[in-house]
Amino acid sequence: VILLMVVIFSFLSENYLSLNNIVNIIQQNAVLLIISLAATLVILSQGLDLSLGGVLPLAGVACVLTMKSLMQAGTADAPAMLAGVAVGLLTGALAGAITGGLVAIGKLPPFIASLGMMGVLASLALVLANSTAIYINNPIFSFFGEKLDKYIDAPGMEYISMPTIIAILVLIATVVLQNHTAFGRYIIAIGGNELGARLSGVKTTFWKWMVYVSAGAITAIGGMTLAARLEAADSIVGVGWEFDAIAAAILGGTSFALGKGGVGGTVLGVLVIGVARNGLNVIGVPSLWQPALTGSIIILAIVAEVLYSARRDVTA
Amino acid sequence: MSVATTTSGRKISINMSAPWVQDAARFVVLIIICVGMAFVTYDEEYGFVFLNLNNIANVVRNASILIILGIGQTIVLIAKDVDLSIGSILSLTSVVAAIMMNRYEIAFPLAMLAALLSGSSLGLVNGLLITFVRIPPFIATFGMLWVLFGFAYLILQGSVMYGFPDTFRVIGNGHLFGIPMPIVVMAVVFAVAYFVVNKTTLGRRFYATGANEEAAKMSGIKVNQTVNIAYVISGGLAALAGLVLIAYTNGSEARIGEPFLLPVIAVVVMGGTSLHGGQGSLIGTLVAALIMAVIKNGMNILAVPATWQNLVVGVIIIATVLIDQWVRKK
Repeated sequence: VILLMVVIFSFLSENYLSLNNIVNIIQQNAVLLIISLAATLVILSQGLDLSLGGVLPLAGVACVLTMKSLMQAGTADAPAMLAGVAVGLLTGALAGAITGGLVAIGKLPPFIASLGMMGVLASLALVLANSTAIYINNPIFSFFGEKLDKYIDAPGMEYISMPTIIAILVLIATVVLQNHTAFGRYIIAIGGNELGARLSGVKTTFWKWMVYVSAGAITAIGGMTLAARLEAADSIVGVGWEFDAIAAAILGGTSFALGKGGVGGTVLGVLVIGVARNGLNVIGVPSLWQPALTGSIIILAIVAEVLYSARRDVTA
Repeated sequence: MSVATTTSGRKISINMSAPWVQDAARFVVLIIICVGMAFVTYDEEYGFVFLNLNNIANVVRNASILIILGIGQTIVLIAKDVDLSIGSILSLTSVVAAIMMNRYEIAFPLAMLAALLSGSSLGLVNGLLITFVRIPPFIATFGMLWVLFGFAYLILQGSVMYGFPDTFRVIGNGHLFGIPMPIVVMAVVFAVAYFVVNKTTLGRRFYATGANEEAAKMSGIKVNQTVNIAYVISGGLAALAGLVLIAYTNGSEARIGEPFLLPVIAVVVMGGTSLHGGQGSLIGTLVAALIMAVIKNGMNILAVPATWQNLVVGVIIIATVLIDQWVRKK
């Protein structure tokens, strides 16, 4: 599957694929990558979490609000930021815990549980932020949204930004989690055959719940990175990203059936989406055409991916 | 499900999981909520604001679009799986109708016909992607959601088109014997759909295909054709809902259908339609859409800020499905 994605990817990007551009694409899509990794973990376990699109703004808002009120109370930048990040992470994990609880313990269909939660979380973000963006002036926090050439005077630094670094760290963490921990094996086992996993002694309810908790926390990292980049927490940004994230996971070969795929493929999925958007820009397609073409490219890529994996399953 | 109905009908004790009992229970919930709303919104000066005839007509009219879309979604869910593209089909077809009427000055019946035909054909594309290319429905219709929105955006060049011929606007803001037209359209669609789903072979084919595709195939049902028909109906109804909507609001733009997708799915599931296929009730969808509209109306009368409203809707979705599951287990 990944091979096929590489083929599509290089085919799509024949004309404009350069190191420079790849770096650019990754930079623009760092936050999307983070939330897509979270979505992939959930889909691997045969779940679905639409509420991640609500976690993203909510975690950003919670983090920035905490930071701001602490700073107004006279706390220094660094501890205020740490507290803010802690609150943001907790918010994400808590939101994930509720969604996951509804799915794993309440036995609700993931689609419905997370749909309801998306309404709740997106609405909470709006309420907390009073429907506006909350600006924050904390140099240490903003650092996590900037490019490195501002701080380090070395060649190549303009290619590296903190969001990219954070996204790569999250990627490494999820790859390790998926491939080298018991938790990762349980996720794949639950996705492949939940009953079988339970019968062989895996505490499926608990681990399923944990998948949503970690997805919420990972998405919170994305939300806070976005807030750092914008130097503000916007209460509506991120709503709708859950769909991009799910598309990226599917494009990356993660399947809704059988616990196949994984976070590695998702990187390629995000790249395909990024390349489609960026490529249309680079070859000078008028912006009016872009949504239609991006959509078409993505659905064609999905068709190709589904056809390919179906054929592979037959031959295997 | 039709078998279950007949067997439970013969029993003397009431089978709690019989579809009609659940529909009746939802109806009771609707009445309780209405009575609750009537008292909550009681106003010293204006009395029972909620029970005002105009307000009730308003509630039902607001629910009409949701119900028309919900009927399509219910049928698709009975026969197969979700249709996430309805919001975008609504947008695209209403944009097509708008541009035909306003830019090219084509007579409105032709524009409406074109919208309905394009809605049905887009539904067929959904169906073929699922039955022929064999893409999972969630992904196929989700991809279509993006593509269709993109084209709607492209056609209107991101602008809003407004001011339609009065003759066309009758289906949105006209009245028939004092009843607002959207309600009339909704009632007709509901009656036809109810007949088709419950009284015809096609309806039984929907249930059989959704319940067990293999078994349906073995017993001679053309399952692919059945699924395609379900998606065509859903697409066509989305187009119809779009026409009623733009006739009422007198404006159309590329994002006009977007806010409907999630409430429609919420309403259909609250109405007892299963996401796993083979199970669903149009009456449940109707009652659930009315419950949703009543609650939204109540929040408006009480001046609940718009930011809170999604939260309330989200909690309602989760709560109803939890209760539904609990009742079923009993």
